[in-house]
Amino acid sequence: MPPIIDPNKCSACGICVDICTEDVFYGSKEGEIPVVTYPRECVHFNCCVYECPVPGAIRLRIPLPMMLVYKPR
Amino acid sequence: MEEELVKADVLCVGGGIAGLMAAIRASELGAKVIIAEKGNALHSGRGRAGNDHFETYIPEVHGIDREAFIEELLRTAKGEVLLSRDIFHAQFAKAFDIVKLWDSWGIPMKYKGQWEFAGHSFPGRAMTHIKYGGQMQKKVLIKQALDRGAEIMNRVMVVDLLRDGDSIIGAIGAHTREDKVIVFQAKGVILGTGKCSRLYPSLTPGWMFNDPNGGIQTGDGRAMAYRAGAELQNVELPERHIGPKYFTKFGQATWVGVLKDPQGKPVGTFASKPDRKHGDMIMEVNKLVAEQYTKSGKGPVYMDCTEMTDEDYEYMMHWMVHEGNVALLNHMKDEGIDIRKNPIEFATYPMRLGGQIVANAKAETSLKGLYAAGDEAFGDISAAATFGWIGGENAANYAQEVEATDVERARAKIEERKELIDQLRGREGGPDWEETNIALQQVMYDYAGSVRNEALLEQGLSNLHRLKEKAYTVMVARNPHELGRCLEVLNLLDIGELVFLMSSDRKETRGLHVRPDYPFTNPLLNQFHVVQNIHGKPVIQWREIGR
Repeated sequence: MPPIIDPNKCSACGICVDICTEDVFYGSKEGEIPVVTYPRECVHFNCCVYECPVPGAIRLRIPLPMMLVYKPR
Repeated sequence: MEEELVKADVLCVGGGIAGLMAAIRASELGAKVIIAEKGNALHSGRGRAGNDHFETYIPEVHGIDREAFIEELLRTAKGEVLLSRDIFHAQFAKAFDIVKLWDSWGIPMKYKGQWEFAGHSFPGRAMTHIKYGGQMQKKVLIKQALDRGAEIMNRVMVVDLLRDGDSIIGAIGAHTREDKVIVFQAKGVILGTGKCSRLYPSLTPGWMFNDPNGGIQTGDGRAMAYRAGAELQNVELPERHIGPKYFTKFGQATWVGVLKDPQGKPVGTFASKPDRKHGDMIMEVNKLVAEQYTKSGKGPVYMDCTEMTDEDYEYMMHWMVHEGNVALLNHMKDEGIDIRKNPIEFATYPMRLGGQIVANAKAETSLKGLYAAGDEAFGDISAAATFGWIGGENAANYAQEVEATDVERARAKIEERKELIDQLRGREGGPDWEETNIALQQVMYDYAGSVRNEALLEQGLSNLHRLKEKAYTVMVARNPHELGRCLEVLNLLDIGELVFLMSSDRKETRGLHVRPDYPFTNPLLNQFHVVQNIHGKPVIQWREIGR
């Protein structure tokens, strides 16, 4: 579920729906909180987060298979 | 199926860096320009979330003439490449002008008031890339295009070019949010459609959109150029990249660290301490190093930034943001990963399509009225910007010279594509694009992957033909969005087929094209390997590169 929308913060402005190139929000209705119809098509570039006018209303959850690998210290 | 007719002098296919620069230049020369973008141009293409380095030649900084700069570039950072020298001359004659233009438009091309050269260059040799603040570059370029009168049509995927005689006269596109096709009548068409993802499996096979190019650059330009009869070259020579493991992103040169083995020994010989000017050039010299270490039991390898200074850290973070890697930084924060303490594992990324649409230094392809720029022709941000500009200029000039041709002359092609779209949309059930795409990746990985021979290629091509037949007869698009994905898969199938044919014809081992049945690189084949669709049949030939 890559983009996560906080329904309490989202103003339903539709900017993320408009700008997502992969159109993961396909089928969202104008004036309503966007639905993530195609989560597996998210490419995790943060573009929706850049363009969202309400801080914290949208964020990316990185899928488990994509977790970075690092050396713990 | 509803059909809309749109007329323009110049049609830019793809609203990435090349498409926008082409639109800007063609518009200011007076052409009526339309950009057709299958996503949204604000965040599409490889420059969608930013870039931080721009290859350029500045005479007063480099202190050598252009010829010497290009020779230095080919001797060091770029290595010998299968491109003619006049391409580099055209790029570096113009690139610095573009840098200054971008700066004047509001893309910060300087750092602390200076041209800041770093990355992609060896210590002690000519520096080739300036650092720049590209995070919001798309917004700036869109404004410039719109200010000059260009029009952007988002959510329109151009499916095929329309041809009359030897000339391209327009294109047909499918809307990806409503059931509608758009017929473009244009005197000049510029393909700026980017790289090609989803042909081979990603590093995370369950998540095929995890690709540093993004997930929807599917070689559309190459596929439609080929179908229309334009020449492609070297598509069987794959590329690979290196970067953070599993969260695949570009920007390897933005990391200020040293690539090391598990014992902390550098794997290369170019850096032993973090060096913000040069990074660790081992990753440019050998993208396979991470895979080789792992396969030979010496891995994993880590990008070790732990010895960086606080200033280096600030510097790197600044450029990671501009390179478009904010999501990666957020992920590290969420996971409690601190690059000052934790070495990050790097991996060699999977195979992806190489080669290009044949284009000359004027961005002209082998078909009249058809131009190609950006990753479809000569990649990287500087080349995309420069050849986009050059292509836009030449397309606008061409549009002034010729009369528009009525697209009705290509009515048969339009109807053929509409019928295909109706079939994909009309089926009740069947495999969707994703199932078909997974099957294609399987064929490519197993039969045209890291090792190829005649028997494998022959078997793989036969499998691919069966799959293609199914894609055309049973694949289903449940809505206009999935229609776009299906059309992408059909493009990938065409390109995959060419990879097989060209691989079979290249009877040598070269770079990542490994043929144990022809284990040596044949110096007589330091040529362009060109394929063209002539009356529905692929015709392959070798051509001298020239200078």
